[in-house]
Amino acid sequence: MVFIAIGSLVGGILCGRFVFSGNIAGIFTQYSDMILYLLMFLVGISVGMNRSVFKKIRQYHIRIFLIPVGIIAGTLGGGAVCCLLLREKLGESLAVVSGLGWYSLSGVLVTSMVNARLGTIAFLSNLLREILSFVSIPWIAKHLNYYSAIAPAAATSEDTTLPVILKYTSADMALLAVFNGVLCSFLVPVLTKFVMTIPL
Amino acid sequence: MLVEVIMFAGVILGYFWQPKKLSKIIGKLQLICTALLIFSMGVSLGSRDDFFSDLSQLGLESLIFAVIPGIFSVIAVFVLTKKFMKNGKEA
Repeated sequence: MVFIAIGSLVGGILCGRFVFSGNIAGIFTQYSDMILYLLMFLVGISVGMNRSVFKKIRQYHIRIFLIPVGIIAGTLGGGAVCCLLLREKLGESLAVVSGLGWYSLSGVLVTSMVNARLGTIAFLSNLLREILSFVSIPWIAKHLNYYSAIAPAAATSEDTTLPVILKYTSADMALLAVFNGVLCSFLVPVLTKFVMTIPL
Repeated sequence: MLVEVIMFAGVILGYFWQPKKLSKIIGKLQLICTALLIFSMGVSLGSRDDFFSDLSQLGLESLIFAVIPGIFSVIAVFVLTKKFMKNGKEA
C-alpha cells in the first residue's frame, strides 16, 4: 500500500510536470472530487457492514475523545518545539501544525492569514504528514497499539488514510478513525485562527 | 460536509444491505480510488511552476514541522489510550 501511495504520488508529480498540460492537470483536480466521493461511499459501506462497530460506540462513551485530544495536544506541543528549533514565531508555528494533515485547507488558510512563504510551509508539512503516516502506520500498529496508528493521520483518518489504518489494525478501529478524522477536520480552521491570536 | 453525507449514505447502505460477498471488490475499488486520488494530488503539485524551487528552500523546515508534531501526537495518544482505554494494548 505504501509503495502504491508513493508510486502514485511520484507518478502524478512527474506527469504534472512533464507530461500533462496545465489544462489536463486542471481536469484531474476537477474529477478528483468525484473519486473522493466514490471512495467515501465505498468506505461508508465497509464501515456500515461492521455492525459490531455501533455497539462499540456505546461502550466507548467519552473515551472516544481520547484520540483526537491526544493528537491535538501532541501536535500543538510539537509545534511549540518546532518554534524553538526553527526560530519561527510561536503563533505562526502553531498555525502551521494546526493543519492536522489537511494540507489543502491549511495552505490556503495560512497564506491568507500570514504570507505565502508560511502558507507553503503549511502546505508542504501537512502533505508530508499525510505521506509519512502512510509509511509509519504499519509500524506503529505493530509496535505500539492500534489507537496510536490513527495519530499520525490526524484529520486524514476519515478519508485518505482510513483504508491504510483499517488494513493494519482492525475493523473495530473504523469508528474511532472516522470520528477522529471528522472532529480534527472540523477543528482545523478553528484551531488555526485561534492560535494566531497568541502574541509571540 | 458533502463528503460526510456521502459517507453516511454508504454507512446506511452497508448496515442494511450487508453485501458481504462484494467485500473483496469493494476493497479493490477503494484501493484504486485511493491511488487515483494520490496521483491527482501529485499532478496538481507537479503542475505548479514553483513546486520544485519551493521544495528545496522550504523542504527541510516543512519536514521538521511534519515529523515532530507527528511523533508527539503518537506518543500522546499511546500514553492516553494505554492508560484509559479498556483494551489499552489492542494489538
